[in-house]
Amino acid sequence: MTSKDLVLESAADRTTRFERDALVFTNQLYAAALRYTKNPEDARDLVQDTYLKAFTSFHQFEEGTNLRAWLYRVLTTTFINTYRKGQRQPLIADNELEDWQLAQAQSHTSDQGKSAETVALESLPDSDIKRALQEIPEEFRIVVYLADVEGFAYKEIAEIVGAPAGTVMSRLHRGRKQLREKLADYAKELGYATASSNKTGTSNEKGETK
Amino acid sequence: MSFIEIQCGDVLSSVIFIIEGELETVPHAAQINSHLTSCAPCSAEIEHERLMHQMLQDVLKRSCDEQAPEDLHQSIHRQIREQMGANLGTTEVVTQFSMTEISIEIDEFGNIEHREIQIEQTHIQHFIDDED
Repeated sequence: MTSKDLVLESAADRTTRFERDALVFTNQLYAAALRYTKNPEDARDLVQDTYLKAFTSFHQFEEGTNLRAWLYRVLTTTFINTYRKGQRQPLIADNELEDWQLAQAQSHTSDQGKSAETVALESLPDSDIKRALQEIPEEFRIVVYLADVEGFAYKEIAEIVGAPAGTVMSRLHRGRKQLREKLADYAKELGYATASSNKTGTSNEKGETK
Repeated sequence: MSFIEIQCGDVLSSVIFIIEGELETVPHAAQINSHLTSCAPCSAEIEHERLMHQMLQDVLKRSCDEQAPEDLHQSIHRQIREQMGANLGTTEVVTQFSMTEISIEIDEFGNIEHREIQIEQTHIQHFIDDED
């Protein structure tokens, strides 16, 4: 058991420091909160709650460590503990780690499949990108958002969401995969692509035997 | 050292680790790397995955850049000031105790998960400031 030095800081000094260092992330946290909660009212409340919690526990934040990551941790735990309560979404945590690697692609993607995927991504409007993100399960959505929009490393994400790094990697993989499948479907509906994410079969000459 | 034959499937199932720059955490990373240099379909697949990953990040970043409403900035500021008002004229002395609980878990793939749980206790005292 260790005991830190006494922290002596007046309330006014701490407030100034908090406002200077933490409030610059309001827009970013709001955009994340919109993805988490899926609606502007809840996103607003979530950001406000996050800042209040962060402020009252600011003395626990170690200066010199990553404040942005710390704020995302407060945002994410507040969301999980408060906004998700009552919804009782089925959690996917159960057999999450079960053979997820093995379930990955075991064969190469055809050239048409590849170009169809890139065309789909290039052609879709922002609204469809956001819709696809909304539609994937929450656990996946959060890690994909943290990794691909916020640029956190998967080990930082493990800290933010409070899950083991291996679980984060699995969610990241599955989340991105589902997202790409959805985007390919939308593109197909819009007539952009015909052969979305085709996988060549094992009978194909480009098959997995090598 | 035993010879391990790497199949395309082994490479393809490690795509996410390659994309994330974490291939060295995968068993037989060196063999996967050398397979990649000699197998054109696999290296094309990785190239495609990298491109898709980059594109996906680009479209996500472009789409998710909402600005917080102006009055949200104001109400956060107000809320913080109110909270501070409750403590104004006092100096806070915070003593923190922390304890770290370490656990090591090995899953069925032989991945070692090392977790540290920090248990923290905070003791806060308020002293009314002397008036000058």
